Amino acid sequence: MSKRLADGLFTALYIGLIAGAALFLLIPVVVSLILSFDARSFIGPFPPKDFSLRWYREFFNDSYYHAGLMTSLYIATVATLVSTVTGALAAIALDRLQFRGRDILQALFLSPLIIPSVIIGFSVLIFAARLGIIDGMPRLLMGHILITFPYVLRATLATLKGIKPSYYEAALSLGATPAQALWHVILPLARTGILAGAIFAFIISFDEVGVSLFLSDSFSYTLPVALLAQMHANLNLTVAAVSVLFILVTMVLIWILDRVAGLDKVVGTGVYGR
Amino acid sequence: MIRSETLSPSAGSQPSSSAPADLPHNRTNGFLLLPALVAFLPLLAGSLAVLLRESVKPHIPGRVGGADEGFTLKNYTELFDPAYIHYFTDTFRIGLVITLAALVLGYPIAHYIVRVASPRRRKALLAGLIGMLFLSLIVRVYAIAMTYGPLGPLVNAPLLIGIQPRTPLHTELLVIFGLLHTVLPLVAITLIGALQNINPRLEEAALSLGAPRWKAFTAITLALSVPGILSAAIIGYAFCISNFVVPMILGKGFVLFISNLIYARFSEVNNFPSGAAIAVIMTLISLALFYGLMKLVQLASRAEAR
Repeated sequence: MSKRLADGLFTALYIGLIAGAALFLLIPVVVSLILSFDARSFIGPFPPKDFSLRWYREFFNDSYYHAGLMTSLYIATVATLVSTVTGALAAIALDRLQFRGRDILQALFLSPLIIPSVIIGFSVLIFAARLGIIDGMPRLLMGHILITFPYVLRATLATLKGIKPSYYEAALSLGATPAQALWHVILPLARTGILAGAIFAFIISFDEVGVSLFLSDSFSYTLPVALLAQMHANLNLTVAAVSVLFILVTMVLIWILDRVAGLDKVVGTGVYGR
Repeated sequence: MIRSETLSPSAGSQPSSSAPADLPHNRTNGFLLLPALVAFLPLLAGSLAVLLRESVKPHIPGRVGGADEGFTLKNYTELFDPAYIHYFTDTFRIGLVITLAALVLGYPIAHYIVRVASPRRRKALLAGLIGMLFLSLIVRVYAIAMTYGPLGPLVNAPLLIGIQPRTPLHTELLVIFGLLHTVLPLVAITLIGALQNINPRLEEAALSLGAPRWKAFTAITLALSVPGILSAAIIGYAFCISNFVVPMILGKGFVLFISNLIYARFSEVNNFPSGAAIAVIMTLISLALFYGLMKLVQLASRAEAR
């Protein structure tokens, strides 16, 4: 094969794979978007002929979804607050302390990232029952703190690694107490990592299904659990309307993340970064 | 959902070497650890401890939760029954297919973003990828079901690779699509992190010395990114095999993962001890897989550095 032909084939394959991946990711989202405006009262063949906002109205008038949304917002907010405070402080401590078992403690702290969410949900359910907690709300909070904590810890640790120890030492040698040095020097420098971690935590909590399915009860359930029940019961198109709302919220959160931390920071720019 | 770059080998595991080691500092720093030790650690340790205890309790049919007295390993030994094995093999096999597909489709995207795209396009693509990663799992499962389902516009698309609608293979393909929709952006973002640390001058040098493009790419960039590919694969695979919602909705009872088996033990037959035993096995597999393979990646990157 001539070099030119080989190069041409290689480029074609490269572009083809990228285009294929983009289509694969985008087509289902676009289909949902179109269906959410379907005017029919049932799920009919694609594409719909007439469009309306009926499914959006239906979602906003449904008290079942409304309760789920409120629970989700409440759980995500409280879990994010608890995880951000405890996780950021723990990250600062882990970054500075040296003691035996430090790496093991860090691995333990990060382990909910690796343990499947169904198992976290199941074990928190048994644990809560053992403690005599049978209400959905406190159980959901327990589970959601468990799954959001490692995200804040990890994001904060990653930022702290980029802060020179000499800043902290300079503050000390200028007469600051360790607490003052942490509060006035380290904490402001680590702010982007902590905020990025908090945004991650909120998204993770808000989207979580596996853990919530175990810990919800008929009074307290999250929005994804409500949607899941709805998808199982009858495939109506309110879920499509909610999907579009979810997509909008995701876009807003990405915008905030870019503002707060910069998207490049989130993935890192590497040593040859531009 | 997001297990991206900072979970890669040895992230954050080196304590800053020059931190002052005298007591007052350690005491202040020690206090900072306290909230996590009080709020988080008991939750984790307590949950896992009761799970372990539950898994060795005898099961009494009709009772929620195992008997409080007695000790048995039956919950574990019964898992070797051939009826259970296929949950495990299905999970691991389908996870592997998805991970490979995500690598093949994700690598060019990552490469394009790191090496080719202009800063503006880079940012737009990054936002798109992160958005795709953050998209709710429920939303994508629903979107895949509506797109490839019986009334969807692409119901016949799998015919292109010889898969008929309304067959078990078609169902399996939908599960693969559902998971790939998350794993693809996850793998691509992880690969971006890896590709950024490979010197672009090396490939340029090979090209200017007359190497064909495919050869310069495979012999240099692809070869140097093997550790990154491996860690992306581990992160993607871990996501696949622990997933629960996608097989539950798109698998329609034909494709069930280990997580679904745990849930069925809990919700359908109320056999908590058996569910706990499967959960313990699954946790051990996940941890072993993750840390074992991460060790492998570290060895691979060390071999490369030499």
